[in-house]
Amino acid sequence: MSEEIREEKHFCVFGIGEREFLIPKESVIQILDITKIFPIPGSPDYIVGALPVRGKIVPAIDLAKVYNIERINYSENKLLVLDVEGEKIGILSDITPFFVSFDKDIVVDDYLDPKKLYEKLKIKQPSSSKTNEILS
Amino acid sequence: MIDQTELIKYFLLESEEYINTLIEGLEDLENKGFSQETLESIYRAIHTLKGSASIVKFNKIATLAHKLEDLFDSIINNEIQQDISIINIARRVVNSIITLINEVSTYNEEKSELDSNLVNLIDEIVEKKVILQIEEAQDTYVSLPMTNAVRVELSVIDSLFDILSEIIVQKNVINDREKELKYLVEEILKSGKKLFSEIVSFSDRYWLSPLSDKTKVIDTFFTDFSDLEFDRYDEYHIFTRKIAEITNDINESLNELISFSEHLSANFKTLGREINTLKDNLLSIRMLPIGRLLNKISEAIKDTANNLGKQINFEIKGGDIKIDKPVLDLLYEPIIHILRNAIDHGIETPEQRLAIGKPEKGNIKLNVKKEGKYVVISITDDGKGIDIEKVKEIAINKNLLSQEQILYMNNEEILSYIFVPGFSTSEDVDFQSGRGMGLNIVKTAIAKLKGTIEVFSEIRKQTTFTIKIPQSLSITNLLIFKSSELEFAVPINYIEEILIIDDFPEVKSERLINHKNRFIPVKIFSELYFSSNGKQSEKGYIIIFNFSGIRKALLVDNILGQEEAAIYPLGKFLEGLTQYIGYVLSGQGTPRLVIDPLKIFEEEFIFTISKPLTLESVPYTGTVLIVDDSISVRKSLQTLLETKNIRVYTAKNGAEALSILEDKNVDIVITDLEMPVMHGYELINKLRKDIRFKDLTIIVLTSRGTRKHQEKAIDLGADGFLIKPFDEKTITELLRNFPILKNQIY
Repeated sequence: MSEEIREEKHFCVFGIGEREFLIPKESVIQILDITKIFPIPGSPDYIVGALPVRGKIVPAIDLAKVYNIERINYSENKLLVLDVEGEKIGILSDITPFFVSFDKDIVVDDYLDPKKLYEKLKIKQPSSSKTNEILS
Repeated sequence: MIDQTELIKYFLLESEEYINTLIEGLEDLENKGFSQETLESIYRAIHTLKGSASIVKFNKIATLAHKLEDLFDSIINNEIQQDISIINIARRVVNSIITLINEVSTYNEEKSELDSNLVNLIDEIVEKKVILQIEEAQDTYVSLPMTNAVRVELSVIDSLFDILSEIIVQKNVINDREKELKYLVEEILKSGKKLFSEIVSFSDRYWLSPLSDKTKVIDTFFTDFSDLEFDRYDEYHIFTRKIAEITNDINESLNELISFSEHLSANFKTLGREINTLKDNLLSIRMLPIGRLLNKISEAIKDTANNLGKQINFEIKGGDIKIDKPVLDLLYEPIIHILRNAIDHGIETPEQRLAIGKPEKGNIKLNVKKEGKYVVISITDDGKGIDIEKVKEIAINKNLLSQEQILYMNNEEILSYIFVPGFSTSEDVDFQSGRGMGLNIVKTAIAKLKGTIEVFSEIRKQTTFTIKIPQSLSITNLLIFKSSELEFAVPINYIEEILIIDDFPEVKSERLINHKNRFIPVKIFSELYFSSNGKQSEKGYIIIFNFSGIRKALLVDNILGQEEAAIYPLGKFLEGLTQYIGYVLSGQGTPRLVIDPLKIFEEEFIFTISKPLTLESVPYTGTVLIVDDSISVRKSLQTLLETKNIRVYTAKNGAEALSILEDKNVDIVITDLEMPVMHGYELINKLRKDIRFKDLTIIVLTSRGTRKHQEKAIDLGADGFLIKPFDEKTITELLRNFPILKNQIY
């Protein structure tokens, strides 16, 4: 996950369990207090549910399930809403996210590329093509 | 054939645009020279104008447009010289067309005679490829009729819809709040009345009681009087009286509050009605009469009939009924498909018809009706009809149905199999019998419109296809239901009936109900979506779906009601969750996932295709032993596997499992790890050491999903891993990996 950063200078830091992650500041739209999350039955376990935000729903992702991170407590639960190519996704954070700046060429550990993350966690269409053909 | 006035209106709107394009194009030719681009845009405008005019049968306009089209065709192909006098001729034609359009606008018909000189002139030019006559310049155009209309992109209306949807959400919020307000007011009023009566009765009682010795008046109002001048009151007297007065004031205010809240409710109601009217009006903006589509269709099918040597009367009723533009566009293909089938496979040749005493010409009737918010289109032909025996034969040959199943089905249900994928393909179907190719394509197209299609047929007499679609796609009628404390919605278009579970006490164990002499398979929603372990609420409703005659039922915990709402898509991130069509928001802003009823029963549909579900004594496709100390796990897994025709044995622990394995033939063992008496590791170890069970497939079922546990189990000899809680999909997928059951499951 360690990656060379070229363009981005400002990051948003959020935490899961003992770990901290960085995400480019530009992709963060808002940080929400989590009031109630509505589960989406049938979704993978890293999608804890959906949060209604201004009449639209935002899926809430728990990266603890993705990176196998152990949780000690859930004290501060915030939802970091990201914009990935016009689509909103939310990431749970155990700490209140904050912003930091780095020099251009520094190599940052635990940097997350929102686009790659999105592609990785996106729910794929069921692979059985037969099924789709019949009832699409 | 159908009501023309509506169509003329559209023709006038369209023609205005084409004429303007024409005029602008001609100006450009004159001022900027003959560019290919301008010539083509003129050509396109004339061509479309010709088409629209002939649909509404304005033959003079069509003829003039046709001539102009010929002329420009020659110019584009460089057959005649690009000369300024051509523009003048074209202007003359345009003026004649405008004159005719003006007449149409006023009288709904073309009054003036066709300018035959003009027509002949163009014919001559096109034929001889020379401009013989120098046409005098015409500078002015006849003005077009005022149409008083603007053209708006669909997307503009759609954005209005988005706003309206938000308004409707807010309206629902207000409605809920209003109910709360009413409740509060009632509560306050109740308490107020109680307080008042308490105080009054208390003060009455106290008034009459003898004064105590310590009579003392502290109110300054009373101290100004001497004792003799005034009745003597003690502090309580005054207090109670004051309280009574205040309470009375409060009560009066409460009465005002009540009438205020009643007025407010009335205002909200009016607001709600206005919003509904707004919605309906906005919807109707996008609506076009279906006749516009049918005219196009009627031309196309006359060609089909001619090509096939059949003679038909095509009759349309209800062409003035309006449908949402996007729906209209998507209806063309399915309707033409059905009509072509009717001509090709339904209507007999004229000779055949005469021989069996039918009129020479076949009749095809297309009837459009409005039923509430739905449009019902029925297409009837008086041809051969569909031979139900042939349908049975094909369904059996193609393994869609078994002999036994057919015994339990009525004709209507059997007939509906013509829509099942795989029933017919263009290559191999016998056209004489089971009618039609690719009817499942038609069904799919209709399903996309959230509509339904049904078929009815009488052999040798007639066939009727009935399509029912919502008038508009934007706002859907939904049934809201609750399961495991979550709210869901399902479009009501497939719902036929809702039953109460009390009338079918055996439904949970039998997964089948006998309703109106039909056996309908039942799925339990909470099991499908939550893999719930039998902890279901006492309440329960059975929703019966009708998919073109094939009925399926779904058991849900509670039904909350019906609502109209705009369905939002889940978005690209979640689009893989195909079991949902999208979501709607409740008045409180709670998201409700909209389930796709077709997806719930999808597996069964596929099942039906590869291997029919029969009612009795099917050979099992495999045997599974479930070892788990939790009864709910055993039970839910058992039911799940049994629906897949798998024989299931269960054991509470490893020791029990071993004794079952001693005398039963088992293909797969699914075992928990932590169990009393003998745990899973020990069981796996014992089995793997026994030569008889060397090749037995062992799957570990556990809530411990860590790699460490997995590795230990695999080391001991487990073949697969299943993590609790499980759902049907993971199990099916897992089992597919094991060849012993592989082919049978899918």
